[in-house]
Amino acid sequence: MSSRKASIAILAVLALVLAACGETATTTTADGGATTTSGESPTTDAGDTTTTGGDGGDGEPIVVGASLPLTGEFSIAGSKHAAGYEFCVDEINARGGLLGRPVELIVEDNRSDPEVVVSQTERFINVENVDILFGTFSSLLTFPASAVAQQNGMVYPVPSGGALRLWERGFDNMFYFQQKPAEFTGESVVNLLDYYGGEGIVDDPPTTAAVVNADDFFAQAIANGFVGGEVTIPDSDKVVDLAPGFLADAGIDLVFDEVWPIGYTDWLTLANSIRSSGAELLAIASASPDEVISLVRALQTVDYNPKAIYASQGAQTEFAEALEGGENGIFIHSVWAPTANFEGQLAGDTYTNQDFIDGYTEANGAAPDEDEAIPFAVCQGMEQAVIGAETTDNAAMIEWLRGRTEADPVKTIMGDFSWDDRGLPIGRDYLVVQWQEGTLEFVFPVGEFPGTVDFVFPKPEWQ
Amino acid sequence: MAELQVAILGLLLGGVFALMASGLTLMFGVMRVVNLAHGAFILLAAYAAFFAHDLFDIDPFISLLVIIPAMFLLGVLVYATLFPRIESSPRYVEMTVLLTFGLAFVLEGLMGFAFTGIFRTANPSYATEAFLIGDLFIPKAQLFASLLSVVLLVGLWAFLRFSRNGSGVRATMQNRSAAQIVGVNVRRVSTISFGIGMALAGASGTLLSFLFPFFPSRHWQWIAILLALIVLGGLGSLKGAIVGALLLAVLSSFVSDIFGPVWAPMTFFLVLFLMLLIRPQGLFGKELRV
Repeated sequence: MSSRKASIAILAVLALVLAACGETATTTTADGGATTTSGESPTTDAGDTTTTGGDGGDGEPIVVGASLPLTGEFSIAGSKHAAGYEFCVDEINARGGLLGRPVELIVEDNRSDPEVVVSQTERFINVENVDILFGTFSSLLTFPASAVAQQNGMVYPVPSGGALRLWERGFDNMFYFQQKPAEFTGESVVNLLDYYGGEGIVDDPPTTAAVVNADDFFAQAIANGFVGGEVTIPDSDKVVDLAPGFLADAGIDLVFDEVWPIGYTDWLTLANSIRSSGAELLAIASASPDEVISLVRALQTVDYNPKAIYASQGAQTEFAEALEGGENGIFIHSVWAPTANFEGQLAGDTYTNQDFIDGYTEANGAAPDEDEAIPFAVCQGMEQAVIGAETTDNAAMIEWLRGRTEADPVKTIMGDFSWDDRGLPIGRDYLVVQWQEGTLEFVFPVGEFPGTVDFVFPKPEWQ
Repeated sequence: MAELQVAILGLLLGGVFALMASGLTLMFGVMRVVNLAHGAFILLAAYAAFFAHDLFDIDPFISLLVIIPAMFLLGVLVYATLFPRIESSPRYVEMTVLLTFGLAFVLEGLMGFAFTGIFRTANPSYATEAFLIGDLFIPKAQLFASLLSVVLLVGLWAFLRFSRNGSGVRATMQNRSAAQIVGVNVRRVSTISFGIGMALAGASGTLLSFLFPFFPSRHWQWIAILLALIVLGGLGSLKGAIVGALLLAVLSSFVSDIFGPVWAPMTFFLVLFLMLLIRPQGLFGKELRV
């Protein structure tokens, strides 16, 4: 029976290997939160290179390098980031270029691989001699790429890289183009409940909360902020203590706190455990809207009706389509929205979020979403830094960017940016949206731009 | 009461796992084919059920009636095309592993190309409903799926027990050469069994379409769990697959509830590991009977 034993051994090994393979099958959107690395990790860099622009003025072009995940795990967001950068460079060239010179963008595919992003960034700096770097997508890739830029004195503007551990390494070259690190997402949730409490709408605020999150970088960071965990900064003995957490700050008791693993399927059991906790507020943190959909469906099945449900993902049309009404009342933080018509600048002129949407739609035949908008804002910021510093000398650009204040900010389609010493934006709140009867409405912050409607509380019963 | 609720959820989950694993263990028992593409075929059926529901509003329990025979025929075709030519190889089992491993990748690629990588879940109305009995709830979708699994498994048992072809299948499972000597057409039995295994994959895929979210590469995760189930139960043992599925599903539900969901998937592989140390032939490994 030795062949039988051999078969069993083969199967056992296969089961374990396949289990590991299965884990790479996550999808991410938005910040991406840098979840797992792919099982296939080619370490050499070849990748496709595309070049955009170079016809916007006279003289030597200003060359920009962007290493993006066009294939692999982050390919969807990565390709959209490339489109956002390319559109911005085209817009700059259409307005006469930068410092009278055309701008040329080189995009290379790092295949979502941290080793490739490092070698590509090194080559941009040392071989291609690019003048400017544009940031990559996800915390996972930003972490090593920004270190290469720092060693070479290059500005590293970050479209996506929300984990706090990126920002506590003492670098002076990084600038974040979203509102806050992921750890501070919970602050927007608590601020919203507090604001609408004052308005009399949240008249009976939740006193207990459950926090559940996916086992990834980004989701864990959000959950950490809610519950007051600790963040260890790699390659240092630094620990950032988030205690007591935003829930405790708001006087809400944490009654349930669990993590679900990558590739999780048994949502009913989790929903049942949450229901048993009786929490009045539920916070769901994940980089994948699909995981949120699965959990919400399970919550419906077990008939758990908390007063409010916050989710880190779910602003997509597909979210409402999949839940068919189950999304009603769920609120989500967001970094960009078409209706938030911030006034930015490009080539010294006013360039609003609406200008961006119109221009992008005309050029690409499809409306943009946040994965095109954020890189556009990054590109706007770098353009203003070159104009402000009157040079592409990166030391001067770092100095200029660090000199921004709330009164004299960088002005983008995502609003005004000025940064603290770490490179994190000062005084920015996430936008909060809520599903109300099939429409995604803006509910917070109130007063920054028109179009906000009142928050619906408590969450309507499942339909 | 809370424990009873967890046990109910686990049992319902186990019912579906049992159906998924039964096809896989049957294929191994009869043809010694370690079908690593089983999960991919399950997903193929899940896509069929999903699109039937999404585009034509056909309930998965109805589309089942077409998907099961279609998958049976596909199974017959796949078996006849791929396996007879390697049958006489002394390394047959290893070759089936490689062959079906490759087949799984091909299927994954085709599904990715045809249906893209986005998550899908069929959403019939009962998918988010439950029967309430006091404080207990019994999710309708899981209940219906488990009931159907029981019906199909009883049907399979009756087929193997009472039909002539079923006797041939059992004979082949017990001793392939001896079966051939006493006049069982092993090739024919193998082809039918592969078809039945695929039909079971079709049935479980249809159920999966509304029970769990899926996308093309998700099949690796399923095949990993299924391999753990059938190794626990004993390779090639139908009873083993069913008992293994129920045991592990209930156990993982309790692990999830008590220690947290992160530990639940690990339950499968920890049990697999322990089983190999203590009783490598599995729970019902010795007797290759139904």
